[in-house]
Amino acid sequence: MCGIVGYTGDKQAQPILFNCLKRLEYRGYDSCGVAVAVGGIELYKDAVRIEALAKASPKFKGTTGIGHTRWATHGAPSRDNAHPILDCTGKIAVVHNGVISNFQELRDQLTGEGHNFASETDTEVIPHLIEKYYDGSLEEAVTAALNDINGSYAIIVLAADKSELVVAKKDSPLIIGLGDRENYIASDVPAILDYTDRVIYLEDGDIGVVTKNDVKIRRDGKEIAREEHKVMWTVEEAQKAGYEHFFLKEIHEQPKVIRNTLGEFTRETEQAVDLVGIGGRGMESILMVACGTAYHAALTGKYIADELLRVPVRVEIASEFNYYSHTLARTVAIAVTQSGETADTLKAMRKLKEAGCRVVAITNVVGSTASRIADQTIYTRAGPEISVAASKTFIAQLMVLYWLIMSYSKADARRLANLLMELRQLPSKVQQILDNEAEIIEHARYLSKYENVFFIGRGINLPVAQEGALKLKELSYIHAEGYAAGETKHGPFALLGGNTPVIAIVAKDNTYDAMLTNIKEIKARGSPLIALAEEGNEAIEELADSVIAIPQVDAIFSPVVNTVALQLLAYYTAKERGCPIDFPRNLAKSVTVE
Amino acid sequence: MKQAVILAAGEGQRLRPFTVNKPKTMLAIADKPILQYVVESLAQNGIRNIIIVVGYRREQIFDYMGDGEQLGVNIVYVTQERQLGTAHALMQAKDIVEDEFLVLPGDNLIDADTIAQFVTMQPDAMLVKKVEDTTRYGVVTIEGDMVQNIIEKPRESESDIINTGIYAFTREIFSFINNELDIPDVINNMISQGYKINARETDGTWLDIVYPWDILSLNDAVLRKIPANLGGTIEEGATVKGLVSIGKDTVIRSNSYIVGPVVIGTNCDIGPNVCILPATSIGDNVVISTFSGIENSVIGNDVHIGPASIIQDSVIGESCVIRGHFAACSDEVEVRINDEHYPVNVGAMLGVGCNLGNGVVAQPGVIVGNYSRVQAMKLISGKLPDKSSVF
Repeated sequence: MCGIVGYTGDKQAQPILFNCLKRLEYRGYDSCGVAVAVGGIELYKDAVRIEALAKASPKFKGTTGIGHTRWATHGAPSRDNAHPILDCTGKIAVVHNGVISNFQELRDQLTGEGHNFASETDTEVIPHLIEKYYDGSLEEAVTAALNDINGSYAIIVLAADKSELVVAKKDSPLIIGLGDRENYIASDVPAILDYTDRVIYLEDGDIGVVTKNDVKIRRDGKEIAREEHKVMWTVEEAQKAGYEHFFLKEIHEQPKVIRNTLGEFTRETEQAVDLVGIGGRGMESILMVACGTAYHAALTGKYIADELLRVPVRVEIASEFNYYSHTLARTVAIAVTQSGETADTLKAMRKLKEAGCRVVAITNVVGSTASRIADQTIYTRAGPEISVAASKTFIAQLMVLYWLIMSYSKADARRLANLLMELRQLPSKVQQILDNEAEIIEHARYLSKYENVFFIGRGINLPVAQEGALKLKELSYIHAEGYAAGETKHGPFALLGGNTPVIAIVAKDNTYDAMLTNIKEIKARGSPLIALAEEGNEAIEELADSVIAIPQVDAIFSPVVNTVALQLLAYYTAKERGCPIDFPRNLAKSVTVE
Repeated sequence: MKQAVILAAGEGQRLRPFTVNKPKTMLAIADKPILQYVVESLAQNGIRNIIIVVGYRREQIFDYMGDGEQLGVNIVYVTQERQLGTAHALMQAKDIVEDEFLVLPGDNLIDADTIAQFVTMQPDAMLVKKVEDTTRYGVVTIEGDMVQNIIEKPRESESDIINTGIYAFTREIFSFINNELDIPDVINNMISQGYKINARETDGTWLDIVYPWDILSLNDAVLRKIPANLGGTIEEGATVKGLVSIGKDTVIRSNSYIVGPVVIGTNCDIGPNVCILPATSIGDNVVISTFSGIENSVIGNDVHIGPASIIQDSVIGESCVIRGHFAACSDEVEVRINDEHYPVNVGAMLGVGCNLGNGVVAQPGVIVGNYSRVQAMKLISGKLPDKSSVF
């Protein structure tokens, strides 16, 4: 979702605009920009973060201006495509959120009339139309321009020689914040809450003129009054929509994320991603590189591929992979990175490209560096993730891997039909775990008293054990290790005992019997044992000290449900211990240094 | 009036199994939760400052409504930890309401027009409605335009005017909430102390939901007003008649026959040769296989229905997996809820996540608890608790 802001008043507009844009960061963005009226229009924009833009931008002296954050859905994020967007004369600047459906037609027409277009955006027809109709009254020109436009929009228009802003809204959100000898405009209330809590909500079809002392709104040419509202919440509260932490909110978004992703997959018009590449050498093996949580998604992908694809898969931690110099197989490579900016992963990707590999990126950020390096990018449909600890983007990465691998599957038709049916059930299975939170909270209370915890798993649930341990350590600061159950005998057994609980992830697949044996061995060493197991499994209920019941799914999908349960376990354990869940100490959301 | 308080903390115990995992306000009618209709009605009347009092299973409301941006409103949540009554619920919002505000139940289906008639009223005021059967409601006695008193669920009543639970109040109301737990008691209290409460009668839509089969009648009422919208892919040879809404990425395969009013969600796979008759709602991500017929029913998200199944007057909860040849035919039966018997025309009511083998036959009026499993070829009847196994 794009975000737009505007300011007019007595203060310098530029720093206020940057601050308002920062408050819209939660909507996600890839580029940003500001424009200020200084007699002419001074404009600075780029496909960078707001901090970088604010640092690089020259200081503009002016008290009326507009700003924009762009979240590209089609068309590359670039300096040209970033907003504000100017007309031919450079005297009119526009920021826009929405989609102009007849822009091609308008663009052709305007080009025919001699207008020069500088970007690939649909938005650019707006400033040119305004330029065409401008005859002294900005409001009249905007009204005339909007008459020609079909589609959705929230816009703010700035003119070089005016200290007023013209705004209009249709099917995209827009509000006006009322100040004292100053007024604000934004896509959403949080943008302006640092300055005022008095707000007017515009309705579809409204066109307004905002000056520092006045707001005039017209509808079908007639001036109307819109009521003033008082906002009674804080920025943070609004964005968390009822939840205490972003992490929990994002965990709860996962059924929706899965459903959205499934919609994308089953769309018949959409071609499966081309792993091999035109004129490729066939898929003999796959190399996957990633860091952190994304590395665990890649590891899970290895097991999915083993069963369905029957091709050897090598998974490497990106930072370690970068030390190899002689064994870069010429192969298909998949890089998994939430932000698309993880420095180690980017370095590995460049190296793989140089070695002649076809590189496919899986990322959540449109236009990120990873997507620019890759031959092809598959976007996870998780939406912006605010919590430093990843949750929904991990599940979205898994969903992409299922899709990717299933579209090349060598499994028989019957098995595939069954898997597709189960895939459609996954959102509800995840919801079932969320509904069962109370049981997990009890376990979290218990776990919070310990300082060392082991997570063990086998097969496709080994990466789940590692991810469970990672979540627990980053959120609750408990020392946790994710270990292959078969490896525990080779050393870690020395650490077992009454003060080291073990969490065993049990799946009903070819690992089941061996896992039962492990559980017995661990119990014999006196460690408290919590099992994650399918509900109604009596053998496990007898063996383990307690069981977190997991809904029944095909073992290949068990990482999805098991991980969600472990996310909740980590969350509530951290909460019990009073940790700052959304922003753990010493960690950053995207790791842009090696 | 610029602000509204929606009471959405209650469970809806008589609507089990459908309210075991979600509050009553989140039950889907024509693919949207009831609460969304209330919020949309407020937004259409320019009321965008909304407080929702949540309690039971509140995460479901957070997840769906978020901060309200999608619906063009701003939502603030307050929590009622124990659901003691409507006045107690309203008290939770005391610190953040303005001088004047509306109060609405989140579990009644309310039209924008119904609210439009009411928003111009000066507080204190109450929206009332004439109904045939007053036994489940608070009956209101009115003189002139003023409320005289409210009597909750009287055995015999002299009036056929009932309280809709929609009010316009000023902050004054809080000084009358002492130990009263419900708003009607508070109002009686106010009246006895000489306060005037205006009554405004509405003939607009206001529908209440109390029992599982009410889902069907609400669904019917709402479907009549849905906007037609054919998204997705409709294969050649499929017939779509009347008021039909089909979501994006849904496929309607050849020789399927759909007669509106019908709403089908996104990413569904319907057919070939499936017949969907009025008044049916089908959620997102649903599969309905060959030769199945569905009529006057509500099918939740992620449901899988196998081939040659017949489903009439039924409610199928989310993510049920039903194999082939399922029969849920409708008839007039007596259904028992909390030891009371109700004569209704109904097929089967399946809770969420049920798994039915091939050839299961449901007796009319059967209520199956959530996450139940039924083996192939079984006959199910009566009321099955959650997680039942029928072998």
